[in-house]
Amino acid sequence: MKIKTIFAATVGLSLLAVMPAVAQSASDFPTKPMTYIIPFDAGGESDISARFQQAEWKEHAGQDVVIQYQAGAGGAQAWSKLNDIAGDGYTIMGINLPHTILQPLEGDVGYKTDELTPVHYFHYTPNAVFVPADSQFSTLQELIDYAKSNPGMVTFAGSGSKSANNLGQLQFDEAAGVKTTYVPFSGTGPSVTAVLGNQTLAGFNYVTSAMNQGDALRMLAVASEERMPAFPDVPTFKELGFDIVGGAYRGVAVPASTPEDIRKKISDIVAAINADPDFVKKMEDGGFVLTDITYDKMPDFVSKMKTEYSEGAKALGIGQ
Amino acid sequence: MELLGYFLHALTPLNLSLALVGVVLGTIIGALPGLSATMAVAVLVPFTFTMDPASGMIALGAIYTGAIYGGAFAAILVNTPGTPSSIATTFDGYPMARRGDGGLAVTLATLASVVGGLVGALALLFLAPPLARVALAFGPAEYFWLAIFGLTLIAALSVGNTLKGLIGACLGLLLSMVGVAVVGGDVRLTAGMPVFLGGIDVVSALIGLYCVPVILDLVATNRGHLGFASDDKGYRLLEAMRIAWASKFNVIRSSVIGTVIGILPGAGGSIAGLVSYTEARRASPNAANFGKGEPDGVIATEAANNATVGGGFIPTLVLGIPGTPPDAIILGALLVQGMKIGPQLFNSEADIVYTFIYGLLLATLLMLPAGLLIGRYAYRSIITFPKSLLVPTIAFLTVVGSFAIHSNVQDAQMMFVLGVIAWILDRFGFQPSPIVLGLVLGQIAEQGFVQTWLIGNATGNLLGMYFGRPISIAIIAAAVIALYYPFYAEWRAKRRRSEPLTEIALDAEAHPEDIPADPVPAARVRDIGGMTLAVIFIVVGGLALFDTSRMSMMGSVFPRAISILLIGLSLTLLARSFLGRGVRPPKPETDAASRRRIVLAVIFGLWVFAIPLLGFATSSLIAFVAMMFLAEYERQTAAVWLRRTAAAVATVIVFWLLMSQVLLLRVPSGFLF
Repeated sequence: MKIKTIFAATVGLSLLAVMPAVAQSASDFPTKPMTYIIPFDAGGESDISARFQQAEWKEHAGQDVVIQYQAGAGGAQAWSKLNDIAGDGYTIMGINLPHTILQPLEGDVGYKTDELTPVHYFHYTPNAVFVPADSQFSTLQELIDYAKSNPGMVTFAGSGSKSANNLGQLQFDEAAGVKTTYVPFSGTGPSVTAVLGNQTLAGFNYVTSAMNQGDALRMLAVASEERMPAFPDVPTFKELGFDIVGGAYRGVAVPASTPEDIRKKISDIVAAINADPDFVKKMEDGGFVLTDITYDKMPDFVSKMKTEYSEGAKALGIGQ
Repeated sequence: MELLGYFLHALTPLNLSLALVGVVLGTIIGALPGLSATMAVAVLVPFTFTMDPASGMIALGAIYTGAIYGGAFAAILVNTPGTPSSIATTFDGYPMARRGDGGLAVTLATLASVVGGLVGALALLFLAPPLARVALAFGPAEYFWLAIFGLTLIAALSVGNTLKGLIGACLGLLLSMVGVAVVGGDVRLTAGMPVFLGGIDVVSALIGLYCVPVILDLVATNRGHLGFASDDKGYRLLEAMRIAWASKFNVIRSSVIGTVIGILPGAGGSIAGLVSYTEARRASPNAANFGKGEPDGVIATEAANNATVGGGFIPTLVLGIPGTPPDAIILGALLVQGMKIGPQLFNSEADIVYTFIYGLLLATLLMLPAGLLIGRYAYRSIITFPKSLLVPTIAFLTVVGSFAIHSNVQDAQMMFVLGVIAWILDRFGFQPSPIVLGLVLGQIAEQGFVQTWLIGNATGNLLGMYFGRPISIAIIAAAVIALYYPFYAEWRAKRRRSEPLTEIALDAEAHPEDIPADPVPAARVRDIGGMTLAVIFIVVGGLALFDTSRMSMMGSVFPRAISILLIGLSLTLLARSFLGRGVRPPKPETDAASRRRIVLAVIFGLWVFAIPLLGFATSSLIAFVAMMFLAEYERQTAAVWLRRTAAAVATVIVFWLLMSQVLLLRVPSGFLF
């Protein structure tokens, strides 16, 4: 008797819990916590910036967001599964450039660039060249001179093969007319450690990599359009005469089945957080450059980036 | 004396209760294979946003250290490391539990974890800035040699069977290379299937390789899962303390190894446990007993893996480089709190940092009472649970655990397939541990090797990069000693007739009767199974070798070397099986036993492959009940079955709610739910 009651109660309760969410309009979206999947391990730029967003999420969305990690295949593991997720807007995923353009060029990675649906690209991190504080090089020119007289002997630590760092190093080689050796590591953390520990001569990393290292690292040049507010003394490659602008863009994507109005709503939430003074301060202090590429600007942005990266990649022998 | 003031800050009732709750929660999460410290910390981070930074960090640190410790329970009681950190705990913890010393093993693991955790946290308190330099001194070559040092353990684990152990290691190394390579970016050994792009998940592989064979063996006999004494003496705390005191050098050495390896970003608790296990075995007068239930093995691993917690915080706080994935999440939480990480942190935020370190110390101390109580409860549940509930519950936890890591059903399917393969391989003398070592250490070995090669080649100093660096030389020497020392130690022990620790434990009071030994089959037979498998491995090696032909130089070096090695070793095995004196045949088995085993495997297989169709809860319920009936050997009344069915429903629903409503995992709902 008692068991039956318990049984009935548990079954009843569980049925309640699984009742499909009543179809809802975008106006009251979201009505329950959202899930934000990061396609990388914790601790990288994607994770840190998502955590900054998470702290402000409730204020702008009215609901909390939970961050989960689904690392694998440089992000491809998660992106290839994005469209299998229910398109109710409650599960969103971090998305990165140039990864989502370069990976499908390489071969079958389970998704195509155009099958993904980014709704907002909210920041980018420029590439930068680093040396340890006790390095013999204090300007980029000194490094280039050394590379010219010692072909191949300049080693750059960077995060992953065929990544934004790798692309940057290849562009640098071509622009400066030198030959350097790129040593891929399994993420920003290990590659910065290698630079700090003098395992390599220099590093091709993101600007953000240096934020936690204080004066232990010296930045020789940054691949942004203009000088970074957080590093007014570091010249851009452009100033030094090399046409190198690059790095990684990060945004938020949704499954392809997500309705238009929900996509727009999520883009609005991300945009509102991007305008939050607390968020702006934390991001800029961290060396991130905020961008405001909202859902309506997405088609133009993605096609522009595709041309840029595909051509760059081809010229450098990637994806043939 | 400032330090004393910070100590008082950590003693507030709020901080103390956060430390206690964190440790308890962490221990439970760690004890469930697949639910990891990373997951727990990731979910709970937002709650700390509103807390005072020090309190938030204490809570997260307590969960982290608890989870690393909790991994030992599953390792000891069901032969499955709850977290990868406790892989080496299974080597001796499970044999101890099998012979009835499970309670003792849990208490020893608790003592070792507490001491290890304290050593790590004290290093963080007093020596953080100088020790952080260790992280910088370790370059790619050192990581490569460290992984090789870990691999030398294979020789020790497969004494008398080295060839098969090496073949297993090659298989594990090949498994570790599946997917997109970090170095080189090639897509490797995926057989063209996108499913494998992300590689074989280490945790779900661990669950499959270790736990599925246990479940399959559990259902085949009516014998109890673990031995236990009718006059069970409880914690056996005094006895455990005596054993731990007798091997105090082992405890300290392992804690120091754990702290240092914790400092290395990307190395982590699993390597720390394996390295200190190797060292403990080398230094022990009774090395031959390792792997058969030697308490020193449990002590070494558990002291080392908890020491990595404090060690891992050193580069995180001093250099801003997280030592382990949970450290990375905690680092993110600190940045959100607006703290500036880096060399100045210990001065600019001294209050927060030192309060946190004291909190971590207190949490580690609280692990002693909390862990003993939880461990006691877990042990009692495992030995008193009827088999007809134990089998489906463990099976269910393997599915939950392997699924939960990435919310991915394919991980659960992979777990099952690898598990069945592991059972078959084990039957023919290929043990799972060498495969696991290859899988866990493969990536570190490969990345270190190729990075070293790139740097050495660029600087024209290839040999010097591999063999000329002082730390590398020290690790190589340690590896060579670890390989050969046991032979010397055995010879010395024979001469001295010193009494091995295992025998102290065996002679201890309250020790139950030995599990009846299996009858030794008389005649040796030709190893047909081994030969068949060798042929299969040659084909596998050939296919892998063929796959390397389209890879880049960087990506193909390692898989090519390993597949050639696999083919060579398998050929040697074939030749030896033809010419040699044969092996003892596998244990004979009754038809009824193998029938039950096969039916269980079929249910298990249908279950993991039906999840996407029927939904997680539905398929789990059906499989749970089916396994329940399959695992029962006696006639039971209807009331008993009703009670057990209710337990089945409750278990499935509790975990389903936990996953879908608390952790917000995307649980497949299929047609039903």
